[in-house]
This record gives sequence, structure tokens and C-alpha cells, in this order.
Amino acid sequence: MDPAFAGKRCVAAMIADLPRLGLGLGLRGVHFDTILAERPDVDWFEAISENFMDSGGRPRAVIREIAEHYPVALHGVSLSIGSCDPVDLDYLARLKRLADEIRPAWISDHLCWTGVMGLNSHDLLPLPLTEESLAHVAARVRQVQDFLGRPLILENPSSYVRFAASTMEEPEFLRRLAGETGCGLLLDVNNVYVSCFNAGADPVAYIQAFPCESVVQMHLAGHQRQGGHAIDTHDRPVRPEVWDLFRLAWALTGGASTLLEWDGDIPAFDECRSELLKAKHYMDPASGPRASGPPDPAGRDSLSNPLGFLVPRVMDGAVLEQA
Amino acid sequence: MSLESAQRWFHDALILPGLVDGDERDALLRESLNLSGAAGLAIYQRGYFLRIASCMRDQFPALCHSLGAPLFDDFVADYIRDEPPQSHTLYDLGRRFPAWLAVNRPDRDLPPVERELWIDFMIDLARFERQVFAMFDAPGHEGHAFADADTPDDRLRLQPCFDLGAYGFPVAAYYHAVRLGQPAPLPPAGASFAALVRTDYVTRTIPLTEPQYRFLEAMAAGGTVADGIEALARASGAATESIHSAWHSSGDRNRWIDWGFFIAA
Repeated sequence: MDPAFAGKRCVAAMIADLPRLGLGLGLRGVHFDTILAERPDVDWFEAISENFMDSGGRPRAVIREIAEHYPVALHGVSLSIGSCDPVDLDYLARLKRLADEIRPAWISDHLCWTGVMGLNSHDLLPLPLTEESLAHVAARVRQVQDFLGRPLILENPSSYVRFAASTMEEPEFLRRLAGETGCGLLLDVNNVYVSCFNAGADPVAYIQAFPCESVVQMHLAGHQRQGGHAIDTHDRPVRPEVWDLFRLAWALTGGASTLLEWDGDIPAFDECRSELLKAKHYMDPASGPRASGPPDPAGRDSLSNPLGFLVPRVMDGAVLEQA
Repeated sequence: MSLESAQRWFHDALILPGLVDGDERDALLRESLNLSGAAGLAIYQRGYFLRIASCMRDQFPALCHSLGAPLFDDFVADYIRDEPPQSHTLYDLGRRFPAWLAVNRPDRDLPPVERELWIDFMIDLARFERQVFAMFDAPGHEGHAFADADTPDDRLRLQPCFDLGAYGFPVAAYYHAVRLGQPAPLPPAGASFAALVRTDYVTRTIPLTEPQYRFLEAMAAGGTVADGIEALARASGAATESIHSAWHSSGDRNRWIDWGFFIAA
């Protein structure tokens, strides 16, 4: 255990000490060259841990350089904190080595599981929200926090099913989890909207019930309506109804660090940044709705939690020499 | 149902969607206003395959080009049914794919002489593409000094981000033709050899002759230039002196140093 971590004993106090970073963007490979060359005016970046923790190539060199000039947070998709498999200590060791190297502001992942029986679905799968799940996840959060020597920040996932066995709503589950472990929370405002829309629940009531005092960070992203449900696609601008929720969440969290995720059909860096900066309008609690942007792209069913951005287009940079 | 049982059920439902028991599903999942349990589960099932197929197409773009996306996706569906992903990293998705193709080739029940050449080509191409993909993020030597023309032979060692391949088809030429958008017909069978090396985070393919391959193969096993010369002498029957002389006069040494093959031990 990190001596500083052991000395404080109270991870809740560590959460309170975490900085408010302002408005940040998800760090994506297609933007590496722009960021390195132009050092654009963005408050901070969030890097997908798995894209860098195993890297012996350019991604590791790039994140080292970016971390010298910007605050960086690490955001994981494979910790699988809810899985019934043992915690993957090799994964944690790799994550810790990366964290020791780039000194992230914090490390986050999702309230989910990604696989069981030694397999990995590469999806963020939902948990039954029960006392058994709470005890199981809380024990694993403590194990992870002890290993990493820092509090873990957990995100509410987007969800398309609800379990019959669930005995509590997600805000209550996360409130109790944060209370029992001292972990911080990442409030994904778009996920709130998607999950509530699919469940027929009220997203405003969800956010009002959320333990906003534990929120370290927020996420914004675009989603798609497909028929009667919503899909968390991250491939388009933030929808107006999510911006309205963000206004409420910004006020209730007291201005938690906010980050835009754009993971499919990723536009040029400046377009992502322009979308992010729309958040400034909604930081004013008296702000009204903004004129909506371009209409939602239609005609194509996108995927929830797209992963394509995590796989480099290696062929594009390959070179053939003549012997 | 316990948490562990629920997770095993859900994961099986992703991998083998055709085997889902409707009664079990309806007992596990609650009907929501806008999504039934079946419809919600179907979103996860659809996403599981499409997400992985998309990543596999990015890892094997030339093979996907050659097969066409629908047939490539069919192979991927069978592959992840037999070999579901195990690693936390998506980069590992394709690691077992070339070997799986070799074992599960569609004509596997035919005698070897009756098997289809195009399938041999696909397997070789998959092997080459996996090698190129792995080079992208493998540990390398960037940020450190490479050997130069003045480095004596006995100090030359292959750098860490280096790989070799021997194939039954000119897969490297095919791959780069696809990359450049050039016509890429199925090539005739014929032995081909290639080196892959990364410097400044750029992966280069260097076509090799068989003697060059034998020489580098010995060095890739941890050997020295002298080991490479010995291996080539054994394979070709030529005298080590003449190989040593050719090593210095043919230009290979300087070209390979320029391309970053070597570090100084």
C-alpha cells in the first residue's frame, strides 16, 4: 500500500482533495498529432487506461508527453469490478505502473463486470443491484484501492436491462458503495439519460437522488434513439435533453470536472472541443435551452459503447521498403 | 439466483445467443417501459459480436479485403465462439486467429493435396497481419541509440521490435497493395520472406531472400552476426569466408543498419 494512502486512512478525505479540472476531452489516437503539435487550449484529458498500460509503442510515449503539459485522468474499461472472477492482479499491476509513470489526477472505471470464467466480453455489463452485489463490489473496491494506494472512481454505466432481483436503485447503490468504501463517483450524465429512458424512469429524479457529494467527475456524450429505446453510441453531439440534465448535475456537484467522450465517427479535434465548450452555457443555472445543432444523424444503427477507437489503424502507417 | 450464477448465465447468453432459455431470461430480467428483457438482452448480444468483429476488421484489414466483410465476419463469429476473448486488451483479440484458421479451415477434412490454395493464402496473410499489428505496440528501442556503420560485427544484435516471417505466398506485397488501394488479385503460391522492424514508431516491411532470412533467423534466436553466417553456411553449403565477404560487400549490412535492424551490444 502506498504509505500516503495508509497514513490518511480515510479515502473520503482523499476524494475531497481531488482537483476540479474544468472541461476536458477524451484522449483519442486520431488527435495525437494535433495535440502534440498545437497544444490546444483544453483543461485536461482522460485517457483509456487499457490503451496505454500495455503499450511499448507510440501511445505510451504520447501519453507521457501529454501528461507533462496537461492534467490527465485514467479511465478503464476492463477492471471488471463487479465480476465474480478474482480481481486481476496482473491488470492492476500494469495499471499501477502506468499511474506511477504519468501521475494521473485519478483512476476511474465502471460499476459493471466485463466477463466471468476467465473470459472478457469487452462490454460493460450490468449488475443486479442487490445486497449481495453491494457487499461483493465493496470488498473488491477496497482491494483495488489498497493495491493502487488511491481511491477508485466508479461510473454509472448505460444499461439496457434491469434485473428482477434488484432491490435498490442505482443512486442508492452508489451512495452506499461510496459510503462504505470511500470511493469517488463519476456521474455520466448521458448514461443517466439512456438508462432512465430505457427503463421508463425519470432522469431528473435519478440525478437528484445521486450522491453528488461523492462526484469527482462527469461525462458527457452523444446517444442515438433507435425505435423506442436509446443507445449509448458516443458518436455524435450531446443531445439537448442531456445538456439540460448537465445543468442540474453541474449545480448539484458544485462544478465537478467534466469531460466529453466521442468514440465513434470521431471528428477533428476542433469540432470535439467546440462541442465540449457548449458546456459553459449550461454552467449558468439560469441558462435557457440553446438552439439545437445539426439534426441527429439517421439511417444507421450504431453500437453501444463502441470500441473501434481503441484499435489503431496500423495499416495506415505501415511502410514497404524495397530490399 | 446468486450473483455468480447470474453472471454465468448472462455471459453464456452473449456467447451462445441461440441457446438462451426464454423462461430463464424472463425470470432473470425485468420488463421495462421501453425495453422488454428480451429486447434489452438482444442489444448486448448484438453489440458483443459487432463490437468484436469491428475490432477484428481493423486488425486484419487485408484479410477482410480479400475475403469480403461478410465472409470475414462469418469466420470471426466462429472464431469467437470457439475462442472467446480472454484478455483485458482488445489488442489480444486476433492473437489466436491465424492458428484457429489453420485448424478450422473449411477444407480440413480433405487430404492435403486436395485442399484449396486460397485458404493457405488466407492463413499466411492472417499470420503476416498479426505480426504487423503486434509490432505497433511492442516494446521497442525508440529513445535509445541504434548501431551505426562503425559498430563492429561482434557487437551487432537485432533490436527488440523486430520480427521475421516465411510464407507460402507473397503476403507482404499483397498487404501493401491493399494499403495503397492498388489492385490485389489472389497471388500465385511461391515462397516469400520478410522482416518487420520498427523505428520512430513506424513499422517497415523489408522483403528478404531466403539466404537473408536464414541469416536473420539465427540472429533473431539471440545470435550474433557470426551465428548468422554459420547458419547460412550450413543451409547453403557455401564457405563462411565467402558469406562473410558478401555480408560486407553486398550492401545488406549498411541498408539494415540504416533501417534500424541493429543495436550495439
